[in-house]
Amino acid sequence: MSRNEIRIAGTGGQGVVTAGRILAEAAILSGGEATHSQVYGPQSRGGASRSDVVIATEPIGFPLADNIDLLIILSAAAYAKYVPDFDPDGQLIIDSRCAPESMNGDAARFAVVDTARAISGGHLVTGVVALGVLQAHTGVVDADVLERAVAARVPTQHRKMNLDALCAGMQLAGG
Amino acid sequence: MSDVQLIQGNEACVRGALAVGCRFYAGYPITPSSEIAEQMVRLLPGIGGVFIQMEDEIASLASIIGASIAGTKAMTATSGPGFSLMQEHIGFATMAEVPCVIVNVMRGGPSTGLPTSPSQGDVMQARWGTHGDHPAIVLAPSSVGEVFDATVRAFNLSERFRTPVIVLYDEIVGHTRESVALPDSVEIVDRIQPNSDGSEFWPKRAAADGVPPMSAFGDGHRFHITGLTHGERGFPTNDPQVAEALITRLHRKVEAHAEEIIEVEVFMMDDAETAIFAYGIVGRSAREAVLRARADGVKVGLIRPLTLWPFPYAQVAEAAKQVDTLVVAEMNLGQLIGEVERAAVGQAEIVGYLRVDGEPITPTALLNVVASVSGGQA
Repeated sequence: MSRNEIRIAGTGGQGVVTAGRILAEAAILSGGEATHSQVYGPQSRGGASRSDVVIATEPIGFPLADNIDLLIILSAAAYAKYVPDFDPDGQLIIDSRCAPESMNGDAARFAVVDTARAISGGHLVTGVVALGVLQAHTGVVDADVLERAVAARVPTQHRKMNLDALCAGMQLAGG
Repeated sequence: MSDVQLIQGNEACVRGALAVGCRFYAGYPITPSSEIAEQMVRLLPGIGGVFIQMEDEIASLASIIGASIAGTKAMTATSGPGFSLMQEHIGFATMAEVPCVIVNVMRGGPSTGLPTSPSQGDVMQARWGTHGDHPAIVLAPSSVGEVFDATVRAFNLSERFRTPVIVLYDEIVGHTRESVALPDSVEIVDRIQPNSDGSEFWPKRAAADGVPPMSAFGDGHRFHITGLTHGERGFPTNDPQVAEALITRLHRKVEAHAEEIIEVEVFMMDDAETAIFAYGIVGRSAREAVLRARADGVKVGLIRPLTLWPFPYAQVAEAAKQVDTLVVAEMNLGQLIGEVERAAVGQAEIVGYLRVDGEPITPTALLNVVASVSGGQA
């Protein structure tokens, strides 16, 4: 069976938990199995936040991430916490503001946070921009399925902004 | 079955409760159980149910005891600090024989501890938290699907035995979302009603299985309910024979049906030389560790209780006779390991893998433990 473990790590308020949930829902829409788990501190904004998604072709035994295949870093604090111990064979995607270019030469860098700010005026859609980057960069789920999952999860009044964010993320990664 | 959906453990708890007929919820929100209250307040009013946010957890349990006495299936949910406050009324519900369901989504303790981190620190509190000799039924699901099943089962067992039933799982099981298809309908057990032949009703006169029929307030029978030791008519007494008969019956009605209540997953034990005993989320780490170790030719099996109390002594004893080493993995400093030792009576070496830092026990960690005790590389 194939098992793919993806961690999205950032700051409370970036939509990291929602992004993980959308990714898991997209995997289910594609006919696969998925789990989503979240770790957060007592505060809902400003603290470290992460979202782990396991995607598999068969029922998932252990539902948490145990050996991350793909790590997406959306804050400097998340970089400091998760990158040093990250498996060098894994795939790393870093927001370009989070670490100097001289570090982690193999990592893919994208202006996720800046793009989200340009679209929403703040951090709200950072997680969804990251999903767009993830899709175009790895193809872990199909673009149209991810779009459906975003549209189904976000509030109606914010649907257009989120779909714009997804599209912008895909374009950042050349999709 | 419904369509496959991404559902959180706490949400599955609510779905199970509503499917089995719960129509009354009283509680005081607390992380990591709050999603249960959030879903209940949304769903109960639309199906003729009642949701009350009480002033605290003591009142919450008092309230569901009252609802149950009035004939409604009722539950509450909480976490560590709230569970401590509920202990007094768990004893009352046990003594008065009032069916009800209490969900405790465990977080790190003691006191307010680690509100957003998992723990299995309340396992002994679920057994012995309320004072006095009393029976306990405690179920321990390890996945979103099992939370649904355990909640259904908790209501059915509480109705069947007229006793509070505790559903005990940790923050990870409560908050993790998994792809599951939940059943559209479930088995429903209702409390036995008294005969309507006009014969005199004694509220605590038990049938042969030790469980008295239960009349709801308002159904026409006049009766008295008390936490004091009481006779079959329901009134307090200090009579030593009556006291002994009551306490013995409260225990017997559960223990004599332990086989009906106890569920254990026994996985790859046929030729196992080492076994892992684990429950809740750790049970799933252990199962994964067993599969990985087996792939490397290491003979490991799993004993995973879905019922913590009554404790599955017979199943553990049988495993201990067979294996050289029993690894007990818990997210506490060693609670059920004592029961495993009691069951094993020296027939296997018992090794604990215990963790209290708020982080989960991973398959990789257990694989390393298995490798070290089995004397080779797993």
